[in-house]
Amino acid sequence: MTRRWLPVVIGVGILVWVVALAMLAMTAEGSQRYGELSAWILLINILGVVVLLVLIGGRLYDFIRDWRRHVPGSRLRGRTILMFGGLAIAPLLLVFTFSVLFLTRGIDSWFHAEIRQGLSDALGLSRAALDLRMREYLDRTGHIADRLAGLSGASLYLVLDEAMRNAGADELIVTSAGGQTEGYSRAGMQHGLPETPSDALLLQLRQGRPFVSLEPAAGGGYLIKVATQIGAEPSLQSARLLIATYPVPQRLADLARTVQDAYQEYGRLSVLRVPLKQAFVLTLSLVLLMALLAAMYGALYFSERLVRPVQDLIAGTRAVAKGDFDTRLSRPSHDEIGFLVTSFNDMTKKLARAREETERSRAAVEAERAALEVILARLTSGVISLEPDLRVRVANQAAGNILGVDFAQAAGRPLAELAAGCPLLLQLHEVLLEHVNAGETEWREQVTLKSDAGRRELVCACTALPGDTGATAGLVLVFDEVTQLLQAQRQAAWGEVARRLAHEIRNPLTPIQLSAERMRRKLMRGLQPAEAELLDRATHTIVQQVEAMKQMVAAFSEYAKAPEMQISEFDLTALIHQVSDLYHAQDPRVAFGLSLDPRAAALEADSGRIRQLLNNLLTNSLEALDGRENPVIMIETRRMGDQIVLTVIDNGPGFQGGLIEQAFDPYVTTKPKGTGLGLAIVRRIVEEHGGQVEVDNAPQGGARIRITLPAVPREARRAEARREKA
Amino acid sequence: MQSLRWRHPWLVCCTALLCAAAFAGARAQDAGRFEIRNAYVELKDDAWLLDVRLDLALAKAAQQAFDGGVPLVLVLEAEASVERRLLPDETVVSLARRWQLAHDAISQRFVVTDMATDEQVSHASQADALEALARISAIEVADTGKLPPDGRFDMRVRATVEIGELPAAIRILLFWKSWSRSTDWYAWSVRP
Repeated sequence: MTRRWLPVVIGVGILVWVVALAMLAMTAEGSQRYGELSAWILLINILGVVVLLVLIGGRLYDFIRDWRRHVPGSRLRGRTILMFGGLAIAPLLLVFTFSVLFLTRGIDSWFHAEIRQGLSDALGLSRAALDLRMREYLDRTGHIADRLAGLSGASLYLVLDEAMRNAGADELIVTSAGGQTEGYSRAGMQHGLPETPSDALLLQLRQGRPFVSLEPAAGGGYLIKVATQIGAEPSLQSARLLIATYPVPQRLADLARTVQDAYQEYGRLSVLRVPLKQAFVLTLSLVLLMALLAAMYGALYFSERLVRPVQDLIAGTRAVAKGDFDTRLSRPSHDEIGFLVTSFNDMTKKLARAREETERSRAAVEAERAALEVILARLTSGVISLEPDLRVRVANQAAGNILGVDFAQAAGRPLAELAAGCPLLLQLHEVLLEHVNAGETEWREQVTLKSDAGRRELVCACTALPGDTGATAGLVLVFDEVTQLLQAQRQAAWGEVARRLAHEIRNPLTPIQLSAERMRRKLMRGLQPAEAELLDRATHTIVQQVEAMKQMVAAFSEYAKAPEMQISEFDLTALIHQVSDLYHAQDPRVAFGLSLDPRAAALEADSGRIRQLLNNLLTNSLEALDGRENPVIMIETRRMGDQIVLTVIDNGPGFQGGLIEQAFDPYVTTKPKGTGLGLAIVRRIVEEHGGQVEVDNAPQGGARIRITLPAVPREARRAEARREKA
Repeated sequence: MQSLRWRHPWLVCCTALLCAAAFAGARAQDAGRFEIRNAYVELKDDAWLLDVRLDLALAKAAQQAFDGGVPLVLVLEAEASVERRLLPDETVVSLARRWQLAHDAISQRFVVTDMATDEQVSHASQADALEALARISAIEVADTGKLPPDGRFDMRVRATVEIGELPAAIRILLFWKSWSRSTDWYAWSVRP
């Protein structure tokens, strides 16, 4: 509402101000028309100046504040103000200067000496004309006085009336020297007594000179007053006086009044010459000040109006630069700026639409990527996506688990750099490089990687990612660890072998043993001592070997069968103490060092199988320590989260090179009497409990076997279920 | 000079005051004597009539303007007020009478015109005219009805000589110039 009426208020204000300025100029000129209003007019102008100063101050404050704050567009606004102000102020100052010059010179030109002289001459001419008339009336009055000499009473009045009519006088008065009226005659209807002769009149007559005077009359005319002595009395005290008043002819009086007025006006203007110039200069200055202030305000206002769309555009551009594509600017006008604003709005609309599409695409890509990451995370296969220069783009967790590398921060890093501390990845990188150098982008290969923890069998498949320009956009390497699968296959095969051996060999052994014993029993008594001894020795060997073969078959049978697990919670520490005490009693020469974590005491597992596991490990260690000096077996337990780690270390010869990789395979042994099933059974028990077993050589020498078992039975059952499923 | 100004500001202030006083004194000397010599009222025919006697001398600026042909105006302001208890005095009568003094260049006479009645009297000299202006007689202030019946009231008069026929805008724009000169208020109490 206020904004709607604002232009009207401003318009009315400007109109009042312009009228006030015009009136001020007229009053300064001397016009009486607005003279009484001049104070109000001046007040309106001063009020206008104050209002303009306030408005300018407000806008200047805003401008300076914006300038100091480096508000976009303030510099442009400053230049615009300077330009507008300069364009307006320079001509104003020029016009003001020349106006003052012309004005002062114009006023000065009114007062040329010729004009003053002309007016003085005209005045003198008028006086001269009136002097002639005055002399004429003096003569007439003298003649009348001569006729009145000696007259009095009625005859005096008669002569006075006649003389007044004949002389054209307004009034004839006869008085004594003391001023007492003796008779008078008047033209028209005048009332009252005649005036008493003035002192000046009497004084002049006493001096013997007739009195004649031109006096202004009411209404703008003139009167000629003449006084003379009647008769030739030597003493004025006893003489009579005739005082005559004559009207100046109207035509002459008007002309004289015109000259008088002109002369008076000229004199007035002469007096006002300097104040008039000062008043005009002041008025002009006031007008100039108002115009300057108006121009300055206009410059401030229009610069703001002009720059505001530009400022809006700058702000809009900044908003767009910051990503706010919803910015819309109001169209200020239908000119080029308006076209620019419309184009800007169109641009932001298109940008917003494009961004929405991009966002949708990005969201879709993100969703796809998230799904892919979930898939990759769930995959048991290792997946590594590589840039063409073999920088890691992405790798899943399985890849890290298989290769023993943390790929969490690997994105963008070269694969070679990551492989520096990881032997498995290093070997895989070498294989990859061979194929890349050979120009192969699509290949499959089973790769055997060697490490301290044993061999890793990987089945690798590599494929190239298609690029936009036909070039390769990268490589995807997918690999599966088949080590355990191969081992499981091998175990299954050995299990089958063991089962068949147990079945095929165990059956004939008893008849062989019985036959050999029967042969000895039947034939021993009929033979010579030498032959009997030979037979005894041969049958004994047969029985011994058969017994050995039975033990071997039993071992195979034990390896082949998978008994049902009896999971229960038991004290692992106590079990280790029991088993180690038993073996220490069996061979006191061997020292046992136990480092058992109390937190690793409680274990839910098949205690019988764990006891067998310990027996196998200690048996292996004792056999390895046979003949060693200061044999020592270290048994350690540690609680690692939900895992219990059991480590058995001896100071024997350790695993010989190449044997570590096959340490858990059946029939792999360096002992002459070993079956090669001890560690194979250990691994089977560990895997039945969902654990892991690793072998290596201790840094100080000797074999080190590290077994990790889940502390809770659920893990064991789950591992069993996984194994059954496999 | 710089150090004097800042070290002794009181000295600078005193000097400025002395200069201002000297300037004002010079202006006063230049102005001549203009004051009310005496004034009185008398009751005559149920009307209070005012008589005022002035010492009337023209200031230099006024004389110059008059010599240049600009008429002078004598303004006589009179006020009658009545005392009130616990309240400011009440002004019951306030009047202003004007007389114009002009020089007629044709007749070379000095004309005094009562601007209320347009009656004019011409004089042969400026001194005569000023003398006539200085004797203001029988100005009717009010009839008895307007003033208290007990005849107790206060009167005050003031005279002003203005340079007449000047555009009002010039008077306002050049406000610092002395376009008029006034006497002090001449006050007295009227008692029966």
